Amino acid sequence: MKRALLAVFFIGLFAISGLAQTYDVASDTTWPPFEWADAEGNLLGFDLDVMRCIAVLQGYEINIISYDWDIIFDDVGIGRADIGASGATITDARELKVDFSDPYWTSDQAILTRADRDDLNIVTALSRGYTVGAQVETTGAGFIQGLIDTGVSVILREYTLYPLAVLDLINGNIDAVIQDEPASEASAKAEEELTIVGIIKTNENFGFFVQEGDPNGLLPLLNDGVKQLKESGVYDNLVRAYMGTDLTTVEAAWKASIGLLDAGNVVDFAQSLADLANQ
Amino acid sequence: MATIWQSLELLIVKGLPTTILLTLGLLGAGILLGFPIAFAQVYGYRPLRWFCRGYEQLFRGIPALVLILILHSGLARSFNILLPAFTSALIALGLRSSAYQSQIFRGAIQSVSQGQMMAARALGMSKIQAIRYIILPQAFRLSIPPWTNEFSSVLKDTSLASAIGVLELTKQGTLIFTRIQFVMGVKYVLVILILVAFVYLVLTYAGNAALGFLENRLRIPGFEMKGKVER
Repeated sequence: MKRALLAVFFIGLFAISGLAQTYDVASDTTWPPFEWADAEGNLLGFDLDVMRCIAVLQGYEINIISYDWDIIFDDVGIGRADIGASGATITDARELKVDFSDPYWTSDQAILTRADRDDLNIVTALSRGYTVGAQVETTGAGFIQGLIDTGVSVILREYTLYPLAVLDLINGNIDAVIQDEPASEASAKAEEELTIVGIIKTNENFGFFVQEGDPNGLLPLLNDGVKQLKESGVYDNLVRAYMGTDLTTVEAAWKASIGLLDAGNVVDFAQSLADLANQ
Repeated sequence: MATIWQSLELLIVKGLPTTILLTLGLLGAGILLGFPIAFAQVYGYRPLRWFCRGYEQLFRGIPALVLILILHSGLARSFNILLPAFTSALIALGLRSSAYQSQIFRGAIQSVSQGQMMAARALGMSKIQAIRYIILPQAFRLSIPPWTNEFSSVLKDTSLASAIGVLELTKQGTLIFTRIQFVMGVKYVLVILILVAFVYLVLTYAGNAALGFLENRLRIPGFEMKGKVER
């Protein structure tokens, strides 16, 4: 009897360990609509749901961890987390630390100002000595730094979190904020006082990223996963669900749909999420 | 209003356990390391005394945040030592707290008069026995009031762990106010920050009340240093 129990225990242990590999996914979850935490603390967003769907397709488990943006490339680069999914533009400087997947999203930079600042347009905001806020180590911050380096009169102020830059803009401490278009749109939507004065066509490519050299062999799984999602229409549905929709509506849609994904039904999950989010 | 309750619940369910665990870990590590260091500094042989003094000076002299970054990011980059964020915070803040606590205990030990040690030795006790039965019981009681100070600062220092991504109260607070800012507007950010502050305040108050209770319970009539003032 005892031996039988022991056998069951070990078989169980073996089964659990053999079931599925779990990977840590690092994400700066302060950046809707790509990643954020809802009122119950559930982590959702475009990147995270793409990650979840790929995990189901490729048969591994993921564990999403809220990361600070300023250490995310370092920590994934040395293998403290396995995958980075955080709306990250593929740049040469970052390629030195991590390896990127194929591009999955193209983004431009938007300039956000207060609506009462009629004197600011996309040119004046960046050239008359005004202060522009950006999240530290983002491509937006890099763009402003590039302007400064070429002698343009503009001041860059960097923040650890994107919402803190928006907060400072509303409080009147800075004149504008530069950030990727979807996040800027989410801000302009949330705050009547804010408006987007212009888009800078930077044509940046977002990529997921893994440790240098990809020791876990994750990049082929991610690239193939995105391809499968695009072919099955899941990808388009996730775009339809998250881009340009109201955050609380998406949250409700996500809560109603996530059970389908837990049951392994990727296609129905994305369809349900997109439909409910656009009702 | 519903949002406030929901946010508070989220702070308590998802942030508070880590903060409490980290605080208890730090206080425990501080006592385990701090007490021996204090005794070594007072009664130890010279090389040991020097070592403990160096330890205490080193870890009292480095800002806690710098220590955390050295352990978490510095070691990882240079020596490929990959500590989980919680462990890095526990070790870094634990080293800091043990250095501070050692000085609290040293002060308490040294405020027991030298004469008592001599008397104990004259009665035939060994040095260890004298420490165990004469010095320690008094020093322990004397160290409680200043130790409440260390408890308060250790509890609040745990918020520094959010810098390396430990999901504790402060970090959970930033996640909540990020969402609130996008969904309900900027003016609610203040509400969430006040909620976070409130949870810390309640924790500090409860901890200090418990320590005050302990102090009173352990009081030996006739031996109080503070003498409860009757009004």
